[in-house]
Amino acid sequence: MNDLVLIRQNLRRQKLRSALMAVSILIAFAIFGVLVGFERSMNAREQAAAADRLVVVNKINFTQPLPIAHYSRVRAIEGVRQATHLSWFGGYYQEPKNTLIVTAVEPETYLEVYANDYDLRPDARAAFVRERTAALVGETMAEKWGWKAGDRIPVSSDIYVQKNGSRAWDVTIAGIVRGRTPHIGTNFMVLHYAYFDETRLFGKDTIGWIALNTVSPSVNDRLAKTIDRMFANSANETATDSEKAFNRAFGAQLGNISLVVVLIIGAAFATILMIVGNTMVMAVRERTREIGVLKTLGFSRVRILRLILGESLMLALLGGLPGLGLAALTAVSLRMSSSSLFSALVLTPDIALTAVVLMFAFGLVTGLAPALSAFRLKIVTSLGRS
Amino acid sequence: MPDNTLVRLIDVCKRFNKGSETITIFDRLELSIPAGDFVAVMGPSGSGKTTLLNLLGGIDRADSGEIHIGGIRVDALSESALTRWRGAHVGFIFQFYNLMPMLTAAQNIELPLLTRPGKDRRRHVETALKVVELADRKKHYPREMSGGQQQRVAIARAIVSNPDLLLCDEPTGDLDRATADEILSVLRLLNRDLGKTIVMVTHDAAAARHARRTLHLDKGRFIERDLAA
Amino acid sequence: MASLVLQIFAVTMINLRSIPQRLLLSISTVFAVALVVLVLLGFLAMANGFQRTLTGSGSDDIAIALRGGSRSELNSVVVRNQVNLLAEAPGIARDATGRPLISAELYLVIDAVKRRDQVKANVPLRGISREGAALRKGISLIEGRMFNPGANEIVVGQDVIGEFEGFELNQSITLGTGRWTVVGVFSANGSVFGSELWADAAAVQSLFNRNNVFQTVRAQLESPAALAAFKAYVEADPRLKLEVQSEAAYFADQASRVSDLIRRLGWPLAIAMAFGALAGALNTMYSSVAARACEIATLRAIGFGGIPAFVGTLCESMLLAAVGGAIGAAATFVAFDGLTVSTLGGSFTQVVFSFQLSSTLIVRGVLLALLIGFIGGMFPAWRAARMGIVEGLRG
Repeated sequence: MNDLVLIRQNLRRQKLRSALMAVSILIAFAIFGVLVGFERSMNAREQAAAADRLVVVNKINFTQPLPIAHYSRVRAIEGVRQATHLSWFGGYYQEPKNTLIVTAVEPETYLEVYANDYDLRPDARAAFVRERTAALVGETMAEKWGWKAGDRIPVSSDIYVQKNGSRAWDVTIAGIVRGRTPHIGTNFMVLHYAYFDETRLFGKDTIGWIALNTVSPSVNDRLAKTIDRMFANSANETATDSEKAFNRAFGAQLGNISLVVVLIIGAAFATILMIVGNTMVMAVRERTREIGVLKTLGFSRVRILRLILGESLMLALLGGLPGLGLAALTAVSLRMSSSSLFSALVLTPDIALTAVVLMFAFGLVTGLAPALSAFRLKIVTSLGRS
Repeated sequence: MPDNTLVRLIDVCKRFNKGSETITIFDRLELSIPAGDFVAVMGPSGSGKTTLLNLLGGIDRADSGEIHIGGIRVDALSESALTRWRGAHVGFIFQFYNLMPMLTAAQNIELPLLTRPGKDRRRHVETALKVVELADRKKHYPREMSGGQQQRVAIARAIVSNPDLLLCDEPTGDLDRATADEILSVLRLLNRDLGKTIVMVTHDAAAARHARRTLHLDKGRFIERDLAA
Repeated sequence: MASLVLQIFAVTMINLRSIPQRLLLSISTVFAVALVVLVLLGFLAMANGFQRTLTGSGSDDIAIALRGGSRSELNSVVVRNQVNLLAEAPGIARDATGRPLISAELYLVIDAVKRRDQVKANVPLRGISREGAALRKGISLIEGRMFNPGANEIVVGQDVIGEFEGFELNQSITLGTGRWTVVGVFSANGSVFGSELWADAAAVQSLFNRNNVFQTVRAQLESPAALAAFKAYVEADPRLKLEVQSEAAYFADQASRVSDLIRRLGWPLAIAMAFGALAGALNTMYSSVAARACEIATLRAIGFGGIPAFVGTLCESMLLAAVGGAIGAAATFVAFDGLTVSTLGGSFTQVVFSFQLSSTLIVRGVLLALLIGFIGGMFPAWRAARMGIVEGLRG
């Protein structure tokens, strides 16, 4: 027998009470895991942004197109290492509610600009560049719809129609793209701009936006000003921003998700702090006499303090770790659900680590008051006469 | 002549505050108990019996005076030194056994051994269980045992760390006559065969007869009637 | 029967009087329930506010035509000759001179800066004819005047000014090569149009290089029933690959996409938290039963039945939960009701709306609280009712 056994036996003495507390801790940590994962996934684009990347959009709004001529002029500017252009396709699969994030891109330059973001097998890369109707699909999207390389898929647009009147473009999946870090979401598809531009009924020779890598992040500001000055007072003025700033503004359109997440997690933790903290106080108060006996038997005050902190800590871990497991399961099932809102939801190792740190903090906080009162307890008072 | 006194109280004073009133329990109490003695302490309620035990066990402190036990001045020890000393030199036996309900008999007995380094914990537990004749119940929880059995476990817990002094607070107060006699025989055996010095507080004269001598405590003073020991 | 009521009353009073003995634990239960209700009502009030803003915008007697497959005005394209064909459709109301009441509109997105966090956000710019304004109920100019046909002039919804910078009266706005002036501010009576900028359709067409192209057509119907005839006409003509629905139905669909999502986030969260609170309530009530074991046993010994013990415990639990629910609802009202925010609506543009707590929602929140109290009290109450008298008395 050792202290761990004592702690375990203390938790077992009122199994129902311990179980109930563990359940409430479990729920708080499950909420924590899912919500923080959600918040991270919403801000993932911002975190994944490359430091040396700029985004050039129409100054009126990024939904307004740019003439394709802008692209070649931007490419030629000194300080631009690589550039590519992208166009929003407005995709869905079979039914409008199955939204797909699809962009039309220029294959070679796209793969160059995003070489550090995405991982792609050389044969898939070659197949994508070679075949005009080829498409690349991100891992998350492929998982969600069960697609694999070689599949032929009709991708519909809720904006564009083909000259032949069809809304659907048939594409062949050339390969699956993986993100190089967990922050990089892969719920997307890219297809050839040339294929899209030639077949669409309207909007020809326009592009959505330009993405470029600069020779160094230090030239970002100067380059952005140069680009915007180049098109100033033209019919299509540009707004050039770092990818990070652009993505942040994009994410902020939904509202302050981080604040909502912090508030809810705060509420959940405040709840269990109250419940578990007070229950621990009560549980230890009920044990006053036993603590006196332990002291009589030669258990030091520090040892008693450790035993009670150990108990609240063990309870926090007993509830928190399965809670984290539940969060991971929930994250997987939400990612597979039809809502594209959760498509990048992952419980990353750093979230799990934060949660474990919180469990320790939580265990110590809830155990502190009862542990201190046990620490101070006078044997004579605790034994009393009964 | 070697001084074989185990317990010596010199000029011990102890007062309690009860509301605005100060109650004096002991005023310059003197006591001396030789090693190997078995003393029963009797007296009416409030005479200071339990306070005496608490002072001897170092779980309460005197307001003044000296308490020497086994050559150590207990009242001068710091809180943590006192805790260590208690774990090594004193065994407690209570009226209501005070076993940990969530631990088995063997685990309860093992508890004092957890407060110090040392091997062979299991062997010590087995030995203690044999002394109290409970080897077959070591896996049982307190709620599965009779009062007498629980008190035997408590006795085993008190002797497992091989202390010199056993302090018993009404050890038979919650037991029927026959069971009480069994428990007292165990205590006598500990005193006679293992040489434990025992101080037992009781208000049961029949229990006190098992001791070598009886001290009567009244209003914080001893009246030694039985000088035969 | 009367004696049973008296017994229940007596036991309940014993329970309630003993609450101070478990004050912290009882408070934590109340607090937990209050937070559950607060989270739930926060989400529901948000969904409700968003939905009311959008559904309040659509009328039954206005038809809206979008290109087939485009789910929002932003993605739709309608060309001039389709507009002309639509003007001929049956069921459309006409003015005194016999002209059909029809409005071909553009719907584009421009950047605006949110006051709250200085972040760029999407604001809709609607190209509209002066008659178009007449197709919307409850629109009134509160400052300035309406735009003039063909001029680079904008009238601004009142909600836009509250949420975004730079749209006050007489402000000038640069869009592309043109400078535009805010000449008027309108109130849209809480509808989504209050989040929009309006300008002359022809001026917007030339700004965005979209001559002869519109995005949606609205038509005033003779009556809501006339929609069927209008729809049949559109479906019968192969040149009109358009989808027709009532404006009310269009906005209801737009509203449900966002507000359903908010509700789908809010309910599971609140229910998960409710389980946490339930654990707390059960814990509190089991402690309550344990603490009163002796009293309950004493009452049983002098002839009280098991039912009063059961009901008394349940009452205590439900009272705690009800107090928590009331605090949660009151806190939601204070913290959120009327709070104006904006989020991305179905058309990829910001919709300004306010949290709206309603009595229906409050009832839902309190019901959830009572459910927590009921379940949290029932099991401990069962234990109280079945507790042996002998063990109880032993204390």
